[in-house]
Amino acid sequence: MTTNTGTEAAVKQSNNEVSTAQQESNARAQSLELTPAADIHETKDGAVIYIDLPGVSKDSLDINMDSDVLTIKGGVNLNTPDDLNPTYMDVHAGFYSRKFTLSSELDSAKIDANLKNGVLQLEIPRSEKHKPRKIEVKVA
Amino acid sequence: MKSALEKYELIHNLKIRSDDKLTGGIEMISNMLRFSPSFFEGFDEVLAPEFARLTRESSRTRAYPQVNMGVTDKSVEVYLFTPGLEASELDVSIEKNLLSVSGERTKDDLDKNAINRRERFVGKFKRTVALPEDVDPDQTEAVYRDGVLHISVAKKAEVQPCQIEVKV
Repeated sequence: MTTNTGTEAAVKQSNNEVSTAQQESNARAQSLELTPAADIHETKDGAVIYIDLPGVSKDSLDINMDSDVLTIKGGVNLNTPDDLNPTYMDVHAGFYSRKFTLSSELDSAKIDANLKNGVLQLEIPRSEKHKPRKIEVKVA
Repeated sequence: MKSALEKYELIHNLKIRSDDKLTGGIEMISNMLRFSPSFFEGFDEVLAPEFARLTRESSRTRAYPQVNMGVTDKSVEVYLFTPGLEASELDVSIEKNLLSVSGERTKDDLDKNAINRRERFVGKFKRTVALPEDVDPDQTEAVYRDGVLHISVAKKAEVQPCQIEVKV
């Protein structure tokens, strides 16, 4: 009987170790950041940025503007079954992060963000005084 | 032994003497030699930004779509990262235990005068993954959400673990 309890205790212990190891690896995956691919298009009206953020929902997306740095962060949520054993992975991390430094010509107060099918579209208008304008020449 | 400069002059002179007889390829090489002092400058100007772009992109551009796969007791779960597509634009098929997903990602319609910097994948794609032998392709579910295509293929009933009740 005593040996049995001993074995049981040992199994529990190793289970605990396994779950701790899993938690650690999950935590590591969470702390690893992926750099998402982005397209930047600049026109006379402003800039449009497209960022691939597959697996990121509106709730797990964080867009932050600090002085002239625009930071995009998003957590990947795949709703995987609890007993899933990974067999192959291209995407090892569960977190996207990317920073952009915006020129003062852009009006960061008027950023328009749109998330659709895992692609974030950001429209940043050029501030009025930096927009190209035509200067009328008056005939004297 | 001729010095490098003498050799260079020799080639230079040769080029001048036989100018009209030279074929395009030789002329090109000869021109390169003739312009050798500035040749690498041109190289830098034209190729350096391109080279920088390629090295930068190679660190970010990955296979499209990326795939994560896993198994549970009852199913095989495949996640394909296909952002920027509609569910209707994805073509999913299973043939002889090979799961294929194909589609095309098109360029965004934009102002022609825009200054563009592109990292995101554009074009047709097809990704095929081998499924284990013990799956039942008739029981497949595919859901597309937030740019991720999740395909769940059930394992055959006979390989799924089942509980056997012991009667008293």
